[in-house]
Amino acid sequence: MERVIKVVRMQLINKWVFIGLPLLILGCSFIFSLAIFWIVREAGAEGAVYGGGAQAPMWYFLALGIQALTLTFPFSQAMSVSRRSFYLGTVLLFSACALALSIFYYLMGLVEKATGGWWLDSRFFALEWIADNNAAVQVGFYFVLMVLLFMIGFLIATIYMRWKTTGMVVFFIGLGVVLLGVAALMTFSDFWDNFWSWALTWTAAGVTLWGGAVAVVMAGGSYLTLRKATVA
Amino acid sequence: MSEKIAVSAQRLTKTFKDVKALDDVTLQLESNKIYGLLGRNGAGKTTLMSILTGQGYPGSGEIEIFGHAPFEHDATLSRICFIRESQKYPDEYKVFQAFKAASLFFENWNEALAQELIADFNLPVKRKIKKLSRGQLSAVGVIIGLASRAEVTFFDEPYLGLDAVARQIFYDRLVEDFSLYPRTIVLSSHLIDEVANLLEHVIIIDGGRIVMDSDAESLQGAAVTVSGNSSTVHEFIEGYPVIHRDSLGTLASISIRARLSERQQTEARELGLDLSPVSLQQLVVRTALGQPVQSETTEGDEEAKQWSV
Repeated sequence: MERVIKVVRMQLINKWVFIGLPLLILGCSFIFSLAIFWIVREAGAEGAVYGGGAQAPMWYFLALGIQALTLTFPFSQAMSVSRRSFYLGTVLLFSACALALSIFYYLMGLVEKATGGWWLDSRFFALEWIADNNAAVQVGFYFVLMVLLFMIGFLIATIYMRWKTTGMVVFFIGLGVVLLGVAALMTFSDFWDNFWSWALTWTAAGVTLWGGAVAVVMAGGSYLTLRKATVA
Repeated sequence: MSEKIAVSAQRLTKTFKDVKALDDVTLQLESNKIYGLLGRNGAGKTTLMSILTGQGYPGSGEIEIFGHAPFEHDATLSRICFIRESQKYPDEYKVFQAFKAASLFFENWNEALAQELIADFNLPVKRKIKKLSRGQLSAVGVIIGLASRAEVTFFDEPYLGLDAVARQIFYDRLVEDFSLYPRTIVLSSHLIDEVANLLEHVIIIDGGRIVMDSDAESLQGAAVTVSGNSSTVHEFIEGYPVIHRDSLGTLASISIRARLSERQQTEARELGLDLSPVSLQQLVVRTALGQPVQSETTEGDEEAKQWSV
């Protein structure tokens, strides 16, 4: 456990990567969105205006998942850290960041509502589909989404670390074949209509639960892959 | 630090696709000694080191460091330091941040030593690591390796890109710190003569196999070059394993694996022959690694390729 905490401290030696940059991305995307909302409002738009800019730092976490592995993992090996400690420390730190950011989203959502959408009737943090739920579901939803994106990056990077280019080629061709197969199956069995009407019934709570389950499976998969990954 | 055997490997093999990187490697490293792991590029040095330090794992075989398999074992890993020749650092790291990380993980980390070495190597600590020159990058690895004072420390071609002055600083600092804090040090190198007098024990690897594993002392004078009149030389070396031949007209210069007695040395001088010692580098190049230079391969050559003293 002691070394797991040290991995967290190692990852935080450069605070910019885990804390500074996500906040900068969020801040910029918020300010840009507000500016756009204001322009649109001045141009005479009616009704609520929506922006998806709150996603921006989440996508950064996808890149962070890849970078944590391709560069920090080889370094952690030189620091004589076991793969297990590296994995646990990195996932622990990331989860803590994701949780903090999720709570921040929720709180900003409350402010957004209280100020009538930043006095512009705009929606940046509190998109109704999510914001109409209770606090736990809201925080859980953001958290799961961030962890899921991080895990996608992490899993792809572990596959690369373990099987290198061959692993990437096999993985993406395999993924393509599976997606193509599913699409073909749905098309030939006229299932698309059913699918979309089913998708419309999704709730934020349901997505959180299923997303959480997928994230756990991916976390397990990337750990098992990392167990035998080597640097060179 | 009481354990006598620091590293013990039994029958290690590792195959990458169709290449046998390690082939039945068995060796033991004693505590508190400086080892040289010598071999050509691609001989398997880095593969062996990364498996011995638990960064990699063998296809088959067993490794123990202080009696415990190192792979994924934090308690054992924390006693080891191995910085690769091509070590990667996190993208945004500055030099001092790499040292800060090392100070977290290596319990014996000595900050004062690290600072001295930084000054010795003129290392710009506030520069980003990805902006360093090859030599400066090597210096970062050397400093982590030395200042970690890990009980088992591996240096993988630590001198790459370092100029002669910096290399000498490294060798001097290594010996100096080793005498104060003895530990097991393995130096992989192909600049053999440069490190020869640091080494207490020499392990030579070629094509994934250990071809020599012997005390440095016993290698001193283990081979000799006899030169002079061709027929006299041939008469004199009769029966000894030949490791290298050169000839020019009626003159011949032949290196043999032999320790000549006082009497033989006097005899050689009386015959008008010159005797000169074969340096470790020559010995390694000519015997363990080199193909026989001339086509007239003798039985001695074959034998010489696998000998150990």
